[in-house]
Amino acid sequence: MNNVGKMKQRPLSPRLSIYRWQATMLASVVHRASGLVLVLFVPLYLWLLHGMTGSPEDFVQAQSWLHSELGKLSLWLAGIALFFHFCNGLRFLSIDAGWCESRQMMRLSARIVIALTLVIALILGILL
Amino acid sequence: MSEMIKLSVFRYDPEKDDKPFMQAYEVPLSGSGMKLLDALNYIKWKLDGTLTYRRSCGEGVCGSDGLNINGINGLACITPIAGLKQPIHVRPLPGMEVIRDLVVDMDHFFDQYRQIQPWLKTTTPVPEHERLQTPGQRAELDGQYECILCGCCTTSCPSWWWNGDRFLGPATLLQANRWIVDSRDEAMGERLDQLEDAFRLYRCHQIMNCMEACPKDLNPTAAIDNIKRKILARKS
Repeated sequence: MNNVGKMKQRPLSPRLSIYRWQATMLASVVHRASGLVLVLFVPLYLWLLHGMTGSPEDFVQAQSWLHSELGKLSLWLAGIALFFHFCNGLRFLSIDAGWCESRQMMRLSARIVIALTLVIALILGILL
Repeated sequence: MSEMIKLSVFRYDPEKDDKPFMQAYEVPLSGSGMKLLDALNYIKWKLDGTLTYRRSCGEGVCGSDGLNINGINGLACITPIAGLKQPIHVRPLPGMEVIRDLVVDMDHFFDQYRQIQPWLKTTTPVPEHERLQTPGQRAELDGQYECILCGCCTTSCPSWWWNGDRFLGPATLLQANRWIVDSRDEAMGERLDQLEDAFRLYRCHQIMNCMEACPKDLNPTAAIDNIKRKILARKS
């Protein structure tokens, strides 16, 4: 090259912004996200426990928070996160162990876990 | 007049452009078997000679024309136009330094391949004839040896986008597994030692984009899991 001295930084080709989402990719990302939600739910859970066991007034307050919109949303989120993380965790464990390791099964299992989670999210939404 | 195909192609000329942009082209459909590479060739030969891309065999064997096609990596030469949504977005392999248009710098990718020492390593004396395998031992190599190092899987892997300096990536790990499962290779312990690392091997988070992207229908995720199991097995 005759302009080596003027060589500028090469641009990086686009990646996450353009890559088409696949069921397996979604399952992996949501697995990390649901794990984070579950960890964040632990302090909330401890705070609720603490509140409920403090005094009768605290119990009523914690109970009313749990039945508020925000409380229901937290329970709903934690519920679907727990369900997804559990099911997809079993999926990952089985693949690690060498079961369901074919290309078709990797795809199918991701779709099944995602579909089941959507159904559970709907049911939980109606129940809460 | 024949049916026209719409394409949107990633362009970047380091001598003229400050940053990359997408350029629209229209190419006549040349038949039901037309592949994406045929459309790129038409652009280069008939419309715009400055369009730059790699290609060689044109039949999915050399692995030169790995591209990001409508968001998924694949080989232009074996991707039929018929199944693609238009306009067809054609971009270089993701997360790579662009040299020009669709040509990316593959040096680091091949350097990682070299790191796993992809050749038969033996300590026993060379036999008088070849090192024999049973049909069963040979069958172990199926799904491993077919890799053509096009880079479609590695450049589809988010773990590699973010930790590619240390994570070896699906293609290299599939190749590592190819030698690990080879009954004639006598350096499995050494190979596993080299791979047993939080980054080199264990950055795989089962995203499985590699498996979806592979134009040869291979399964790098399964190969990576097999290496993990080999490492586990020798510990227990």
